Amino acid sequence: MPFDVPARVLRHEALNPEHFLITLEAPRLARAARPGQFVMLQVREGHDPLLRRPMSICRVPPGGRTVQILYKVVGEGTRYLSHQPAGARLKMLGPLGNGFALPERAPRQTARRVGTRRPILVAGGIGVAVFPFLAETLQRLGRRPLLLFGARAHRDLAGLQLFRARRIPLRLATEDGSAGARGFVTRLLEPLLREKPRNGGVELYVCGPTPMMRAVGGLAVDAGVPCQLALESQMPCGIGVCLGCVVRCAPQVGEPVYRRVCTEGPIFPAAEVAW
Amino acid sequence: MKRRAAPPRSIARRADAPVDLAVDVGPLRLRNPVLAASGTFGYGTEFLPYLKLADLGGFVTKGLSPRPRRGNAPPRTCETAAGMLNAIGLANVGVDAFLEEKLPALRDCGTVVIANVFGETRDEYVQVARRLNGAAGLHGIELNLSCPNTEKGGIAFGVSPPLIEEVVGAVRRAAPDLPLIVKLTPNITDIAVAARAAKVAGADILSLVNTFLGMAVDLKGRRPVLDNVVGGLSGPAIKPLALYMVHRVHREIDLPIIGMGGIASAVDALEFMVAGSSAVQVGTVNFFDPTASTRMVGDMEAWCRTQGVRRVRDLTGTLRLPAGMPGGRSAP
Repeated sequence: MPFDVPARVLRHEALNPEHFLITLEAPRLARAARPGQFVMLQVREGHDPLLRRPMSICRVPPGGRTVQILYKVVGEGTRYLSHQPAGARLKMLGPLGNGFALPERAPRQTARRVGTRRPILVAGGIGVAVFPFLAETLQRLGRRPLLLFGARAHRDLAGLQLFRARRIPLRLATEDGSAGARGFVTRLLEPLLREKPRNGGVELYVCGPTPMMRAVGGLAVDAGVPCQLALESQMPCGIGVCLGCVVRCAPQVGEPVYRRVCTEGPIFPAAEVAW
Repeated sequence: MKRRAAPPRSIARRADAPVDLAVDVGPLRLRNPVLAASGTFGYGTEFLPYLKLADLGGFVTKGLSPRPRRGNAPPRTCETAAGMLNAIGLANVGVDAFLEEKLPALRDCGTVVIANVFGETRDEYVQVARRLNGAAGLHGIELNLSCPNTEKGGIAFGVSPPLIEEVVGAVRRAAPDLPLIVKLTPNITDIAVAARAAKVAGADILSLVNTFLGMAVDLKGRRPVLDNVVGGLSGPAIKPLALYMVHRVHREIDLPIIGMGGIASAVDALEFMVAGSSAVQVGTVNFFDPTASTRMVGDMEAWCRTQGVRRVRDLTGTLRLPAGMPGGRSAP
């Protein structure tokens, strides 16, 4: 059940000139949130910009009264948002969308994790924003997530401290080689998919720019590895009525269909998305 | 509890008087003048987490066609200054699924349910209207005339008075039991001409305006932003344009009007009523503020109370024009 609340900004940190982490007070919304869900967030009062912005729920900090959102300034809307001071109130609607399908709690050590897949989180650029909440939840389920994070340059690898604080192992790649391996994130992923599966093998959770998700989704489907994509779209309403955010899907049976990223998604099995 | 100082008696009497929000719009009686507009409210149930449908005057469903439609390829929308463009492509579940799955769920919703209807040919309009006529729980139909006529080279029905007369007349005969609202497109030189054609053909009510044709350009890619190239502009950006058209049709044509175009507050809605609307529809605001429609009803009542307006319907068409200018200027 989503809530539409005037959420108070408690903290608003610039992680670097382009990336921000905003903490908003919204207890009911925070309690209802699951990893992979999102909110529609007002960036400022008035009618310009007109629409709220869809934002991944990055974290629900301990205490469960707040949500954190990690975002990058990419246009006018996010620039206005970045100017909102602590104490401001912003309308926030959520949690929205289906969220990731989560694995069951891992069996205890004695069962030696037979048959459980290791979660690999594959992030491209600001797509990383959806993963801190997921990684922490997977840890609570007894899993050991690994983050593969690709971006254009070192400065685009935002939010690393959110993973390091939880001792989540991470491997980095940048297109210009300014941090980690030089190249795309697929360079980090391909060797892992080629490895002989130990125990239950791996499963992928992916969020990033469309070309990156298309590439990673393709690799996963070819390797027969379960893969969930967190899609992004132009999304005026977020609640399934404007039909603006659709993505073309090819279900296993029947004709290709357009599915709403906001309600049937934003998480889709890679095998279903037909871009 | 602290007591506030008592207001002067005259104001107090006015403030205590209940405001009658009910409106008659042709054959339709609405609890209040606020309806949710087609294409912004799904089939009604999508809004149940956010509001009580019974708090609205009514709502208009997503446009219905004889068969389900997938709609256009994305990108389908683009935000613009105080507005947005959309080219959804009239995606909908089709009239049969509406009658079997959507309408029964609205049986006890406690408000007026209006089905929006479109077709690519006159016969498609008629097919949908005939299926809807007599459906339990349906209070009226609204014809979307902005759809291209595939039999006449893709010209929109609503820009041609003979086509308007033809399709409105045919639907009137196909659904004689339902109040018939004709929704006018603003993409025409003089909207009063279209309004007159709809009246001649038997419309009970006019709703205006639909979206304005527009486009957006991706400069770097030198491409249109929308896959469909052209879309419909809505939101606060179009309010003055829509308000003028309501004024013009109200002066020219003797039919009740449901006004719309960029309404985002009670003040906006009341302005449309003063300009000649008997009721209003709110559309794009449902996207960025899902409880706006029902809050607007409360704000409307509060405004009337502070202004001493006892019946909101008394506001319709009360625009005070400059002396010697009975219809207002026809051009600036």
